[in-house]
Amino acid sequence: MSASPSPTASTPPAPRFHLPWADLLRRLHWRHLTFTLREQQLFLLLAVIIGLFSGLSVVLFRIAIDGLRFELLGSGLTPAALRVLLAPVLGGLVVAFLVIKLFPRVRGSGVNQTKAAVYVYDGFIPFNTVIGKFVTCALAIGSGQSLGPEDPSLQMGAGIASALGRRLRLSREKVRLIAPVGAAAGLAAAFNAPISAVLFVIEEVIGTWSAGVLGAIILSAVSSVVITRWFLGDQPLFSIPPYHLVHPAELLAYAALGVVGGLASLVFVHLIRFARPRLKALPRWTHYLQPAVAGLLIGVIGLKFPQVMGAGYIYIDQAMHDQYAWQVLAMLAAFKILSTSLSFVSGTPGGMFAPALFIGAMMGGAVGGVEHHFFPWLTGSVGAYALVGMGALFAGFLRVPMTSVFMVLEVSGNYSIILPAMISNMIAYLISRQYQSTPLFDMLSKQDGLDLPSMEERREVETPRVEDALRPYSGPILQGGDSIAEALRHAANSPQGVLLAQDGEGSWCSITKEELQRQVEAGNTAAPLSSLLPSTPLPHVHPDQVLDEALRRLGDAPLLPVVNRANFRKLEGVISLSDILQAYRRQESGG
Amino acid sequence: MTAERQCPKCGQIIPWGQVECPLCTERTSYFWSLRRDTFLLLTLLVLLLLFVATGFATKFYHAQEKVIAEQWFARGEAELRAGQASAAVEDFRNALAYSRDNAKYRLELDKALLAAGRLQEAHARLLALWEQEPGNGVLNLELARLAVRQSSVPEALRYYHNAIYGEWEKDPVEQRHAARLELAQFLLRSGQKAAAQSELIGLAADLPPDSGLETQVGSLLLASGENDQALKLFLEALRLNPGQEAALFSAGEAYYNLGNYSAAAHYLRRALEGDPHSTRAQTLAGTARLILSVNPSEPRLSRQERAKRTFRAFQQAMARLLNCAASRGINLQAGQESRRLQSLYAQAMDVQPDVQIPALGEDSDLRATVMDLAFDIENATAQECGQPQGLDLALLLLGRAQGGGRP
Repeated sequence: MSASPSPTASTPPAPRFHLPWADLLRRLHWRHLTFTLREQQLFLLLAVIIGLFSGLSVVLFRIAIDGLRFELLGSGLTPAALRVLLAPVLGGLVVAFLVIKLFPRVRGSGVNQTKAAVYVYDGFIPFNTVIGKFVTCALAIGSGQSLGPEDPSLQMGAGIASALGRRLRLSREKVRLIAPVGAAAGLAAAFNAPISAVLFVIEEVIGTWSAGVLGAIILSAVSSVVITRWFLGDQPLFSIPPYHLVHPAELLAYAALGVVGGLASLVFVHLIRFARPRLKALPRWTHYLQPAVAGLLIGVIGLKFPQVMGAGYIYIDQAMHDQYAWQVLAMLAAFKILSTSLSFVSGTPGGMFAPALFIGAMMGGAVGGVEHHFFPWLTGSVGAYALVGMGALFAGFLRVPMTSVFMVLEVSGNYSIILPAMISNMIAYLISRQYQSTPLFDMLSKQDGLDLPSMEERREVETPRVEDALRPYSGPILQGGDSIAEALRHAANSPQGVLLAQDGEGSWCSITKEELQRQVEAGNTAAPLSSLLPSTPLPHVHPDQVLDEALRRLGDAPLLPVVNRANFRKLEGVISLSDILQAYRRQESGG
Repeated sequence: MTAERQCPKCGQIIPWGQVECPLCTERTSYFWSLRRDTFLLLTLLVLLLLFVATGFATKFYHAQEKVIAEQWFARGEAELRAGQASAAVEDFRNALAYSRDNAKYRLELDKALLAAGRLQEAHARLLALWEQEPGNGVLNLELARLAVRQSSVPEALRYYHNAIYGEWEKDPVEQRHAARLELAQFLLRSGQKAAAQSELIGLAADLPPDSGLETQVGSLLLASGENDQALKLFLEALRLNPGQEAALFSAGEAYYNLGNYSAAAHYLRRALEGDPHSTRAQTLAGTARLILSVNPSEPRLSRQERAKRTFRAFQQAMARLLNCAASRGINLQAGQESRRLQSLYAQAMDVQPDVQIPALGEDSDLRATVMDLAFDIENATAQECGQPQGLDLALLLLGRAQGGGRP
């Protein structure tokens, strides 16, 4: 047997080519990427995906609505009388059956259901709600019920977001926040107005400008609008006639429009507040018939005014181009309030954004027509009044003043309209707030037995600040360079048990009188005070900071120095836990 | 949402309408068993499929919309042609409901609105379009027409000029010429002759060799009083198309206005050969021939004939003077020489003894004096008693053409 070495031993090992890009490829592998994404990064990526899904579903939703409208009401703007009467009735019957038997959660406001997901259900929105909203709302709006597609789109977006967030096992906090991200995407796609959608979600759903979620909301809104524009074109909802404010005195005319808008909002909200619980309380079998009966009544109105059927965007466009006399506009506004209230309170799923815009546009046009009649020198076109009227009713009815102003700007693309819009919207908002203490969405949630946080209250709550709780410091301010004996001598006559000291760098520390006494008794009199002070200085606060911040900084410290923002060495006072609690109690008792 | 329960497993609230806790039941499903990255990949795949499906659905949707829009549009066009403007408005609106940004539909709707007399609405719509395309020639022209209908002259001028210098998709040169022509017609109608002349002269300098267009522009120049410029265009049009009746008639009229009655008679005769029933041409030709028949300065006339014509002119003028004075109750012999007719009568009485055919035949200065007096009389009586007819008109026009007949 030859002792030839084994091939494995003699043959040098096959050269292992080290590809310089192999590591890079491995790093770029999708699995590696998703594993290594931090949750915040995944959240942002998910926001884009949610936006894309929402955009696609809103596109399909719109196609479904238009297709159903075409099949049920015909292709003309003035449908045949038989269709006008039959379509909403039959649509209402089918919708009622679907809502009661298959999709019980699609009834009601999508905004509130999204809020409920955030504040009650940890971000949970069942996915069948998305399907249910799609099917039932498309059928309801397509058959002529006086409702709009925005609120369902908002809820579909929120539902998609919730499903994706849960399936991707985001943290509880992120899942809770992801529903508003989807809501913004859905609303932005439906309105083709990303700024308004972002503002609405912040103003009405989240209530705060949270940096953690703002980026995701914007990303989702933008990506959904990109999808919508990709498939349906980038034209705004309405073609707006040109507008220029010629004389500031004309703003008075818009102020009058704001007053009318505020009053119309009140009528609309009160009608819903009155009728909704009463219809809901009727025997269950009537719930099968309520949407059909509402549809029949809307059909009767539609025989004379077919404009009130469906979302009515095209008629808003016509009103903006002086197509109707002011008397007709006024009647359209009144009948739309009635028909939308009928549809909504009957439990037919659908939104009230589009009807609010319709009513506002018609009301604005009517007010503009009347004002032109009596003051022919007014230069604003009826279209301009219709546009501002939309914003006014939106502000008064939905109680979203910021969104309403930006919505007018966004759908008009005309910055000149901002002054009339601001004035009119604010007046409508203030009137609505004055005479209707509970905003629409809060009222609906209370009727549904949920106590969701009121964003309006949250916006207006006064946060107590450090200046409301601080008290003057009556003791001496000890210096770190002083000897302990000297410090005790300074503190001898002070009523303060806890004394403040400043080290050489101006940082604040605290020391008790007992501690000084103990050191002196131990013969440690000549040592500098700084040798006794803790190495970590005491945190400080400023008078304008909120009490929550002071509470957080206080920790176990007996008190906090309140210092001037311009000069940290200048003491404005001190604050302790008991001071903070007293301030909160005073606020709670209205003091 | 009032009957809510807590899940015994996870402690979450079970939403109203749900039997089991959705979170707990979900976790047992297949999807919950997937890794996060696998699920993300599946999500992207579903997104892609949904994108493709939406693409197909949208394509079908847009195709359907286009078909419906075209059906409504065709119906609207037919109704507009049939003069049913209100019905056409509704049809165009239906078409626009499916194709909102279609400029053709919008423009037709605006035209239908104008035809239906709904000016305010048409104005608002056109302005909205104009805001998007301020340089669009068609839009500016429609707005100009609307301004004309609303008697807003400055707006009309602005939009007409925008249209002339604006953008046109089809045949821009022809469209601009047409717009300018329309502007000139508007200016003439509104009595702004000088502005009309400047537009027409500008247009004439830029015209293509088109006899019809040249005649059209020339006619407007003629109406504005620019006879020389108009005549040039008519002659150019006749060079291109010698048999064009409109150019022949207009050239005759231009010559007539310029006092060249022999040329006028020539062109008017040719025009009447083409259209013997043209009353205006007949009248002008008749007057031109009459002028030529009374003019003693026509070439190739004998002295005798010149004298006869002068004598006849004098007699005619005297008769006109006496008739005019009688109709106005003026006593020509009252001796008030400050009055024009009496002064002329006095002059006529002074020369009458010399106004004899032999003397007129011999003395060319006398002929000139007598003809000037006849022209003055015709002119003065025209001012006092109105435009004459027949031979008096011929003498009046002849006097003006020859620089006589001092006003």
